[in-house]
Amino acid sequence: MTARTLVWTGFIAIAAFVLMAANRLTLLDPVENLTLNVTSPVQSAMRDTTRPIADWVNNITDAGGLSRENQRLRDQNERLTNDLTRAREDAVQAQAAQDLNAVRKQFPNDTFLAASVVSRDSSNLRSLVAIDRGSADGVKEGMIVVTEGRSLVGTVAKVYSNYSWIMLITDPKSAVSAIVQESRAEGVVAGNYDGALKMEFVGQGAPVQQGDFVITSGVGGGYPPGIVIGRVSTVGKTPQDLFQHVNVDYLASLTQLEHVLVLTSFVPNRLPPP
Amino acid sequence: MRYWIGGALAIVLALVQAASVEQFKILGIAPNLMLVMLVAWLVVRGLEDVLPMLFVAGLTLGLVGSQTPGLVLLALLPIAGFGVLRELHVVHSDLVLVLVLVAASTVAYELVLLASVVVSGGTLDVVPAFSHAIVPAALVNMALAVPVFAVMRLARPADSRRRLAY
Repeated sequence: MTARTLVWTGFIAIAAFVLMAANRLTLLDPVENLTLNVTSPVQSAMRDTTRPIADWVNNITDAGGLSRENQRLRDQNERLTNDLTRAREDAVQAQAAQDLNAVRKQFPNDTFLAASVVSRDSSNLRSLVAIDRGSADGVKEGMIVVTEGRSLVGTVAKVYSNYSWIMLITDPKSAVSAIVQESRAEGVVAGNYDGALKMEFVGQGAPVQQGDFVITSGVGGGYPPGIVIGRVSTVGKTPQDLFQHVNVDYLASLTQLEHVLVLTSFVPNRLPPP
Repeated sequence: MRYWIGGALAIVLALVQAASVEQFKILGIAPNLMLVMLVAWLVVRGLEDVLPMLFVAGLTLGLVGSQTPGLVLLALLPIAGFGVLRELHVVHSDLVLVLVLVAASTVAYELVLLASVVVSGGTLDVVPAFSHAIVPAALVNMALAVPVFAVMRLARPADSRRRLAY
């Protein structure tokens, strides 16, 4: 190593820590917003240019547009499943006349803000997307994001003036209070590094079956109740464990998101620490 | 190499990484073209050439991506450390050196990001992190390194271009 390379290495190391501190103090937010403003058209153009090549590479084994057809069917399936789930949920609510109805009455007129996905996190450990709406449009950190079919996508993690980063429910830092619609078993749906969803803290005695719907419970005030997350894909039980191993297939097409809705009428009521 | 050329290349590299590379997922893993090209550039041109590029690329990717600029710089910094291997001529085949450095740099890069997730409240599930993200990412980047290095060799300085590279 020459003196020059040592100086460069030291400079980069110091810059890394200074920038992390500056980011912690939100000093970089205007710069990041400006950079996204300048580069997002370039990024869009690059993405549009490379999309046909990416489609070709990704569909190399597909016969003629199977991927697009699959996407269309997934969207249709999502809409129909949501309709079904909402109908079932309404029936459950009406029959039980639980407190959930009272909670729902607090949000009689949900308002949504439509947004387009402009960027995706390129690392393999995180699941985030950037949208073209920010604090100037009324977006706040913690707001809920859903698909056009009203399935849960995630929460707003970072807000700039004109852009926001959305933490998807599959992100390893995501945790959503949830219930199994059929059995009303409670748990927490958490993301992981493999991009899959797990429902944690489901008691051994709770009757959970493959195909059951998982929806937000509203516990904790971070999410409104009744938003569809997905369906139970597998359930595992071992006698020595306190909880069941419940895997959940998310309903929203998270890997192909292009447009989302930010639920602006619901402001999360994060509980203070005990 | 003139700094401004390297800087411009680094900015383009970071934008391509942020905008396009995630579309090309192989087995569900997005390759890190920026890291692969920086490592290949390191082997071809040396540490002195790559460090300014690393700084500009890391800063740009941090500004346009979801990770903070400082974190991306920190995650890329091990490339400088691994660059010492090139200076020491521990491995005589440049291609093998590129593959080894790409694997090591990818693991280091992902481990820094993993640490940041865990420190900021994420779960520490080591097995899925390694089996679904870190190891596959290293393999995908190594596969990408072969064609990238083949192209990069053209940028080798004229005097060293004559010697056998493989």
